[in-house]
Amino acid sequence: MDLVFALALNGIVWGLIIALIALGLSIIFGLLDIINIAHGDFFMVGTVLAWTVLQTTGNYWLAFLLVPIIGFGLGLLINHAVIQPIKNAAALSIVATFGLSIILQESVRATYGAAPNRLVAPIQETLLLFGIQYEVYRIFAAAIAIFAICVFFGFLHKTKLGTWMRAVRFDPEIATAMGIPAHRIYMVTFGIGFAMAALGGVVAAPITTVDFQGGIDILPFCFMAVIIGGLGNLEGTVAAAVLLAFVEGIITSFTDPTIARIGSLIFMSAVLIVRPHGIFVGATR
Amino acid sequence: MKSRKKTEIQEVIQDNSRRSFLKKTLTGGAIASAASLGLMRDVFAKESGPIVIGHHAELTGGFSSWGYWHDKCAQAAVKVINEGGGIAGRKVVLETEDTESNPAIGARKLRSLIQRRKASFVVGSVHSGIMLASIPVATELKTPYFSAGEATEATGSKGTRYSFRTGTDTYALAAAGAPWAVENLGKNWTMIFPDYAWGHSHHAEHKKLIESMGGTVNDPIAVPLGTKDLVPYLSKIPEQTEVLFSVFFGALSVAFYSQSKSMRLDEKMKMYSVSGTIEAIDPRDIDGAAEGVFFLENFPRPLEYKDDEYHKRFIEMMNIDSVHAEEIGSDRIMAKSHAWQSYENFFALKAAIEMSGWQRDSDTPGVIEALEGLEMQNSLAHPQGSKLLRAEDHSGMIDCFISKVEDSKFVVKKRIPRDEMIAKLPPRYDFRKMSL
Repeated sequence: MDLVFALALNGIVWGLIIALIALGLSIIFGLLDIINIAHGDFFMVGTVLAWTVLQTTGNYWLAFLLVPIIGFGLGLLINHAVIQPIKNAAALSIVATFGLSIILQESVRATYGAAPNRLVAPIQETLLLFGIQYEVYRIFAAAIAIFAICVFFGFLHKTKLGTWMRAVRFDPEIATAMGIPAHRIYMVTFGIGFAMAALGGVVAAPITTVDFQGGIDILPFCFMAVIIGGLGNLEGTVAAAVLLAFVEGIITSFTDPTIARIGSLIFMSAVLIVRPHGIFVGATR
Repeated sequence: MKSRKKTEIQEVIQDNSRRSFLKKTLTGGAIASAASLGLMRDVFAKESGPIVIGHHAELTGGFSSWGYWHDKCAQAAVKVINEGGGIAGRKVVLETEDTESNPAIGARKLRSLIQRRKASFVVGSVHSGIMLASIPVATELKTPYFSAGEATEATGSKGTRYSFRTGTDTYALAAAGAPWAVENLGKNWTMIFPDYAWGHSHHAEHKKLIESMGGTVNDPIAVPLGTKDLVPYLSKIPEQTEVLFSVFFGALSVAFYSQSKSMRLDEKMKMYSVSGTIEAIDPRDIDGAAEGVFFLENFPRPLEYKDDEYHKRFIEMMNIDSVHAEEIGSDRIMAKSHAWQSYENFFALKAAIEMSGWQRDSDTPGVIEALEGLEMQNSLAHPQGSKLLRAEDHSGMIDCFISKVEDSKFVVKKRIPRDEMIAKLPPRYDFRKMSL
């Protein structure tokens, strides 16, 4: 029974980290109709930047502040160079972001190197939790993810810029007619999407590794959360990421983790067939 | 009458030109088709001029941290050979193709290497998937292919007369390390590995040996490729485990050591692995996560455990330090336990080409026969040490080393000499029965 609790807890922790990353993917799709194949690489860039900040300053905590800011800047740049020229063309967005993904990976490989690195967690202690030694840092990482998600929703619902973002998501033409600078909103949204993935990278780097291909494997899970939560439905994305990881954790305690992942994929397929707009009510943008 | 004759003559001329046109077209077409099928290689092959040797390497993609060293080794080998007068007096031209660490692309690039860039021999991939996708291509094009990956099938069930490997496979690694590990580390084993052929092959080979020595092997834990969070897998390791045998590579390997260390598994059990798990990774860069782990290696990282002039010279050529195998002027760590093959295989080919008197591609069967059973002596050509390329299964019989990471340095605990390896590894296949 201990193992069930341990893996369920670990599922929630991991799900929250994924939710933070998937949220960026969801807002980019929700506002810009961009299917961002490079989103996993934004996460990877976050891990590499975190490693660089630690190597340069010796202070990992600084990465929590600096990396999302750098990520936001990179997001603005990429939006201008890659996304704006193909706006509103979903098929082109897949090709363009796939190319972007290769460029980001190979740029990191050429500069940072191809060998993976370990980033030591700033909190080294472990707790004996439900029979396993559990890293305290993971609990801290989950707390950071919850905090970042709350800040994001607060920003979206309580600030003028957030209200504009929601307005442009709802109807870009009317929003523009009302004097909202839609073009700038697109830029800011893409920047925020990158920043959230990069922050996810900072949070997850001590748990996973720092590697130029580190974003490839995180992307499918993010897409699963976005699809199950409802394309562009931000609250649904967060709920789906946590739910998926939590259920996978519980199934894993009884059977093979691979079977648990197969279960998730079957669940996603069922959602696509039965509720193509996601399992959450009103799950459209 | 005159005009009728003229018309007949014109018809004959026209007929002749039509026939001649058709004949020329058909002949040209046949030549072009034959050339594109590679059938004309022998006709155009020259008896003098440079010998083209292909290198099929992972310059980009997931294996590029290894591929960099394989490429460096290949270039060094060709430089040494050419400075020494080439092969049978002919200059060697190195043609390199990047497999992009992808089996489908790798197979396509191999075709290009042989058919377009005219490589007569290929020193091949260290990626098991690419190696297995490439062997059928090399066999179809009748080109000897040296691979450096560890999946046993390359010199086993999927091997052919054209596939060779001077390094070890999972069969050899199990035979070299498992007896020592059972005796010195413990009898109750759990194996954790990536969920694909390489990992399963290690499990199957080790399980047989451990159980034959009276050990117990718990249910294996196969981790899907690309897994980020290993806690669900690590939490399944049985309490009674004495030896945790792990086989990973690259990022998954670093994640495994980091997360198992965080869960303090290293305090409860002995950790044992193979060199592929730590290849191109510096234990200093992963902040003690590999501390205390035992590794089976093909070539010790520090010079002191094979302290001879050839090893020293090889280290100089690679421009690495003599303790951590770190490239001078960069922070790259040499993938030393595998990359040496991309250096030594050129010299194995040189020996076989010169022994067989190879002149052109139609003479290649002679090279294969010369490679079968080739003895290589410890020398600048073979700095890893003396070895035998066994005639039956085209497998290299080499010295192996069991090292332990102590203070982030590899300390050799046991050397397994090649004669012992030969005794432990009876050949399971005889490719000489296959026609050339």
